[in-house]
Amino acid sequence: MTPPPPDSSTRRVALFVTCMVDTLYPDIGMAAVRLLEAQGADVVFPDAQTCCGQPAFNAGYRHEARTMARNFIDVFWPLVDNSEVDAVVAPGGSCVAMLRNLFPVLFEDDHEYRRRALQVAEVAFELSEYLVDVLGVDEVAARFNGKLTYHPCCHLLRELHVDSQPRRLLAGLQDAEIVDLPGADECCGFGGLFAIKNAPISTAMGTRKVRNIEASAADVVAVNDVSCMTHLNGILQRQGHRCRAVHIAELLASGLDGNGADEREHDDR
Amino acid sequence: MISDAKEPRDAILGRLRHVMSGPKPIFRNAAAPLEPPDTPAAVTGAQGDRQALAETFGSKLEDVSGSYEIVDRENDVAGRIVALVEEWSEARPIEVLSWAPREIPVDNLESVLNDSGISLLVPEELHREADRAHAARLTVGLTAVDAAFASTGSLALAAGRRKSRAASLLPLVHLAIVPMSRIYPTVEAWLASLRRDEGLGSFLRVSGQVAFVTGPSKSADIELNLTLGVHGPRIVHAVLFDDSVR
Amino acid sequence: METAPTRESTMTVDVRAPYSVRVKQALEDENLRTALDRATERLSEHREQAMAAIDAPRLRDEARAVRQFAIEHLPDLLEELERNLLANGCHVHWARDASEAIGAVLEIARLRQVRDVVKSKSMVTEEIGLNEALERSGVDVVETDLGEFIVQLAGEPPSHITAPVIHKRAEDISELFQKKLDMPPTTDPAEMCAAARQELRNEFLLADMGISGGNFAIAETGTICIITNEGNGRMVTSMPRIYVAIVGIEKVVRSVEDAVLLWQAASRSATGQNVSVYFSMSSGPRRNSHPDGPTEMHVILLDNGRSRMIERGYGDAALCIRCGACANVCPVYREIGGHAYGQTAYSGPIGAIVTPLLEYDVTFARELPFASSLCGACRDVCPVKIDLPRLLLDLRSDIVDRGAAPLHERMAARAYASAMRKPGRYSRAVRLARRFARLPLLPTPTNVWKRTRNLPRFAAKTFRELWAERGQPTDEEAAE
Repeated sequence: MTPPPPDSSTRRVALFVTCMVDTLYPDIGMAAVRLLEAQGADVVFPDAQTCCGQPAFNAGYRHEARTMARNFIDVFWPLVDNSEVDAVVAPGGSCVAMLRNLFPVLFEDDHEYRRRALQVAEVAFELSEYLVDVLGVDEVAARFNGKLTYHPCCHLLRELHVDSQPRRLLAGLQDAEIVDLPGADECCGFGGLFAIKNAPISTAMGTRKVRNIEASAADVVAVNDVSCMTHLNGILQRQGHRCRAVHIAELLASGLDGNGADEREHDDR
Repeated sequence: MISDAKEPRDAILGRLRHVMSGPKPIFRNAAAPLEPPDTPAAVTGAQGDRQALAETFGSKLEDVSGSYEIVDRENDVAGRIVALVEEWSEARPIEVLSWAPREIPVDNLESVLNDSGISLLVPEELHREADRAHAARLTVGLTAVDAAFASTGSLALAAGRRKSRAASLLPLVHLAIVPMSRIYPTVEAWLASLRRDEGLGSFLRVSGQVAFVTGPSKSADIELNLTLGVHGPRIVHAVLFDDSVR
Repeated sequence: METAPTRESTMTVDVRAPYSVRVKQALEDENLRTALDRATERLSEHREQAMAAIDAPRLRDEARAVRQFAIEHLPDLLEELERNLLANGCHVHWARDASEAIGAVLEIARLRQVRDVVKSKSMVTEEIGLNEALERSGVDVVETDLGEFIVQLAGEPPSHITAPVIHKRAEDISELFQKKLDMPPTTDPAEMCAAARQELRNEFLLADMGISGGNFAIAETGTICIITNEGNGRMVTSMPRIYVAIVGIEKVVRSVEDAVLLWQAASRSATGQNVSVYFSMSSGPRRNSHPDGPTEMHVILLDNGRSRMIERGYGDAALCIRCGACANVCPVYREIGGHAYGQTAYSGPIGAIVTPLLEYDVTFARELPFASSLCGACRDVCPVKIDLPRLLLDLRSDIVDRGAAPLHERMAARAYASAMRKPGRYSRAVRLARRFARLPLLPTPTNVWKRTRNLPRFAAKTFRELWAERGQPTDEEAAE
């Protein structure tokens, strides 16, 4: 698939793939690339990127988090500063929230890195936010045959205040019947280290969420963050539910070439 | 401990002063406006002339399980009080725990009550056990109000000489007489007028206690089921009348 | 905190047990979850409606501003408060810690030969363990808030900042009343309430001393404000001869207007009421010639870790007006309830913050700052706009910096950071992890995960490998 020829209006996007997508769900990363390219964006993948440091930061390990965050800034800041890219886009809200809201905290005492972090944060977007707010996408050419519901991931909803964008894109899916999710705004119980350190509470929260998903009668629950997706699927599968959590990029890119996600999804069932 | 309170005081204040004058910020997130408004805006609102405010007050009081009535002619107020007291009192002869009649701005109140055989207990010293026990047995409490707030249906009751707190607290029924001139749109409007006139600080000081009462005593502690009359009155009934046409 | 269940307690969560045990006990109690679900959902709904009816952003901005002003000017306002309390005829006591506050109360009780005390709901007295201390000295203490009365009957500590008995269903309370008050079986709250009224009315009339906390202390006028719905606050501040208010130093506010604003913010946030039924403002003992009211009023200004909390840069936590809204929306609180937070007066998200902060050592109760998924629901409802997730994150960092995290966790964090620091190391680590994932013996975190949840597999190829195969130059290659 050849992207449209670059012109002055072409957006150049640096993909921040996030470490979980890189290692566990590469297809979601590829789906995000196809979505961006289908909208005429030029995607580059700075492959020195690793992790933004959020897991360490949330666990209280600021020193370690700073190491990773510096690497992130060293990779992305020059691209932004030299205007080599117009935006940094990630298929997940939690990591964007990290760099938008928490890098300034992390670099409170490091003026230069704080400045660079803020500069990157200014052009950093979660995928659906970028598609709708920046590229002005209203609808993508994709279809979904069945009942679909949406779980707003906490950091996307309450750190980035992104909610209408993914809902709008999902509503545009052909044949999709969008159903309400009771208690949609409640956390699924993942919470990073919380899922391990407080596994029983985390599981109880996830079980409550899964009960609500079941009550919605949805075939698929769309999410924007693979962390929550992993948690939900872990419980949906373990408790023998038919419904699966699917990342929004895969749903939206299902109509585009080179889609490998569907088969994997079927495997799961 | 009472006598050597000086030392902890200086330790606490000293530490706070030290912190406040130091370079380290005391807040993690100072996102809010740094200077508070001189006078915070009224949270709720009510508009209109005295009749409209009276009706707003009444409907707000009803919203919180209280009740009200507007008596059109001032001359009828005393009679109405008699009727209400008779309705709510079980024991005869009827005795009502009350503020002093001169604190209740209703013409001929005392004589109308006397004519109906209703006596008022206006306590002078409720720390005397016998008086307290007697007062606690009465079913109806009668008071005026120092102010009422239309937007919330609240009564402002200041303690005072012959204005017992008990009258609006111990009986099962609190009958509050509210001349419309004392209804303010909001609590904030009343505070502003006190500040302008006699002074808010001195009003609070001479009163000892000022209580805002908004409806009957209630609890939702048992599974959020609303129950009325937990410790204070189960019935709060306001009698409103226009006192401007004297 | 010395509150402990007595032998009669039917409480399933032992507040003295270790954290993991408390959580387990809470999660196994289906009745607890039923009670929490019923209550927190309704409280949150009511709050939402009450906030939707007004200009909520402005209320929260102003409430935040007046609280922030108060904390920024704390020493000046406290001195102004003291001056005006004294001018109003109050006795003022300062207490650095729990024992000084308790000492002050016991001294007053001794000098005035107090036998019976009635209390209105006060978290600060829970914080310092006042009831137990009074009882040890032979003073009879009765809690008069209906919820507090119920937990006192049950021999339990309260489990919520504003709704102390939120952990009990009506059925549980009925059973308790049958046993303790000889009441016939009923689940009608009105009947149970009437029984409590009768029981407590005598106490109000007999008690020599009333003790309350203080929602706000107005510096400008020397006034202690109490928010209640039942009227017990007014009773406690009006009926006994002696009235003692124990007030955290952070409760001071500038003016009457500020207190009235916060009263409304607290009412809407706690229960969804426009205003609470009673707002009692006491500015000293009764005046000469007044028929009732206390003849003596004492105010105890309590530090007990508050100034240190501010010194540590956690002034945000001192803004709290104890409405409990953060607990009502907290998905963690909803699963485990307040007793799982342990021997503390403060549960829920704000409790997870102030419990360690009020202690000398922040690693006290160090599990609590981690008992949050950082979902942010609490921040969105806080009427004084405390960024609770931020404070939890900062506390976690403090705890790790103090070396109080488990060793294996510290090693894992270091290894993770090291692997993530350079792309080459990262790729090697991924390959390594992929290989180890096939072995039956997995590292501990994944074992914990797998107990209740399926684990995703590592992809056969990482994204960066797929990207390379796609034949597009990575930017590094392009640069060469």
